[in-house]
Amino acid sequence: MNKIYGESETAVHAIRDASFSVKKGELLLIVGSSGSGKSTLLNMIGLLDRPTNGKVLIDGTDTTNLKDGDLSSFRNSKLGFVFQFSNLLSDLTVLENVLLPRKIQQSYDTAMDDATKLLRTVGLEKEIHKRANKISGGQAQRVAIARALINKPSIVLADEPTGNLDSINAETIVQLMKSMAEKLGQAFIIVTHERDQFGKVDRVITIKDGRAFEGEEPKRMEVTA
Amino acid sequence: MDYRAQLAMRMLMNKKGSLIGAVLAVSIGILVIHVNFVIFQGLYDAIVRDMKAYRFGDVYVTNEDDYIDKSDIALVNWFERIPYVEAATPRLDSSAGINATKFGKRHEEFRVPVVGVDPFRDIQASTIHTTVGDGQFVFSRNSIVLGSTVARDLGGLQVGDNVELKFVDRSGQDQIKRFIVSGITTSAGGQGFDFSVIVHIDTLRSILDRTGETGAIIVKLNDPSKATEVKDLFLRSFPSDDFKAETIEESAESALRGFRSGIALINLIGYFGMTSSAFAIVTIQMMIVSSKTREIGVMRAIGAKRKDILLLFVFQGIIIGAIGAAAGTALGLVYTAHAKETRLEFEGSLALEVTYNWTKIVQTALTSFALAMAASIYPAYRATKLQPIEAMRTV
Repeated sequence: MNKIYGESETAVHAIRDASFSVKKGELLLIVGSSGSGKSTLLNMIGLLDRPTNGKVLIDGTDTTNLKDGDLSSFRNSKLGFVFQFSNLLSDLTVLENVLLPRKIQQSYDTAMDDATKLLRTVGLEKEIHKRANKISGGQAQRVAIARALINKPSIVLADEPTGNLDSINAETIVQLMKSMAEKLGQAFIIVTHERDQFGKVDRVITIKDGRAFEGEEPKRMEVTA
Repeated sequence: MDYRAQLAMRMLMNKKGSLIGAVLAVSIGILVIHVNFVIFQGLYDAIVRDMKAYRFGDVYVTNEDDYIDKSDIALVNWFERIPYVEAATPRLDSSAGINATKFGKRHEEFRVPVVGVDPFRDIQASTIHTTVGDGQFVFSRNSIVLGSTVARDLGGLQVGDNVELKFVDRSGQDQIKRFIVSGITTSAGGQGFDFSVIVHIDTLRSILDRTGETGAIIVKLNDPSKATEVKDLFLRSFPSDDFKAETIEESAESALRGFRSGIALINLIGYFGMTSSAFAIVTIQMMIVSSKTREIGVMRAIGAKRKDILLLFVFQGIIIGAIGAAAGTALGLVYTAHAKETRLEFEGSLALEVTYNWTKIVQTALTSFALAMAASIYPAYRATKLQPIEAMRTV
């Protein structure tokens, strides 16, 4: 994939020839310095932005030609998002925030059970009726993780999930995501510039000047699909 | 409940200032319409009420060309046999020059309308006798009731004073007659005979040399909705008598036409006001969209479609419209009830004839609700245009 902003002389290549795959249950870190293109890459994988050329295939589906409504449905069912600032809806409770993706899907059968189970897993079963703006940052991020998993997505995309947390909460979130990836079998793609927080992971991709390199150090990479 | 409706309600409840502002905009728009209706329609209906009560009755019978020469008693008896008719009375109109001498000062003659009434029947078919504040209604052939303006212009005449009227009879001769003032009449809003004088109809007939003739028959009904029926029955019963019979709407048409146009204009202004309140809702909802930009971005990111975002804000418009319409209608009804119970009037003018027009009340509420909903469409549309990434970057 490539992502180019602007044209001709003023064109900015945010992402150049990035190509990789991720398997179910894999925890993939995307690291790089600030402005290297990590979030741009994640936004394209998350179907929030379209590549200038190239494509994103998720579970065998080519998302290139999906229309806006179909993209939304696809994101809802196949992807989960954890943002840097949790981005919970302040007007809703903890439980309602976790249920939101399921309500958008209009699938209510086991929604309540799934939501309470997830909140138990992230250790927030006692806070379910609290308004989202009444909990701490660390708690909010755990709610965001539960929300990201409610629809059992294929991939969970996390953009700097610990960026706004203190070290203790950050550690909690890291361990939570690792255990979720292991237990539930979702692929986790995590963008971070705090490599050390995550310790041992399945794979690392480094972004440098818009190019993606396998591993921690930028070396010439065989581009694989 | 649909999650979008639930979220719309939550957003509004958590922004009480915006909700109150928007609801006030809607309800004030409705209240203005109600107040306009109470005052202007009430005034119109009051004028019609008084015109009916004092001058025209529910059915007003005249002769197309000249005076009615059929026996007034016969006509009155004919009408009073109809079940819908409460009473009927003859009237005769003329004009005369009037003058009086008070405290040695003679007041110059000026012309006044003269109304001849049958005092015994008139008190059943009209309420003009209730406007006599000082003294009493016409009771004898030489008694006269002066309109308050006439009494004032004659130097402040009172009950017991004498006046002189100069008529021109049917042969063109001057006829002078002296009367004793038996009463002074004052009506709220001037719909009565404040500018006229009232005498016994037989006295007037005698002066004008029109014995056996009548100017008009006033008919009062116990069911005003039957006016057209009674009118048509009368005209069918006397096909060759050149009678003209009119309901109050027809009688007062020329006097009320301009008033009706004024009321229509006032109503239009009221609806413009309601439309302005819709713009207030647009502004308030744009503020809500702006404050919720990041959350809209998150919702889109996790899979909400543009349609979901549109519905979210349209639901807000529906909630605002429903609460505003209910509040505005309630306030309007309270005001109407107050005006009705207190017989609202302005600075001693005639008391408004206040009624509940349920069709108009419902129509106003529904229009306001629809406007509020329509006002939410543009902000909702703008919300759908937000791109998830850019929206989430909003601080």
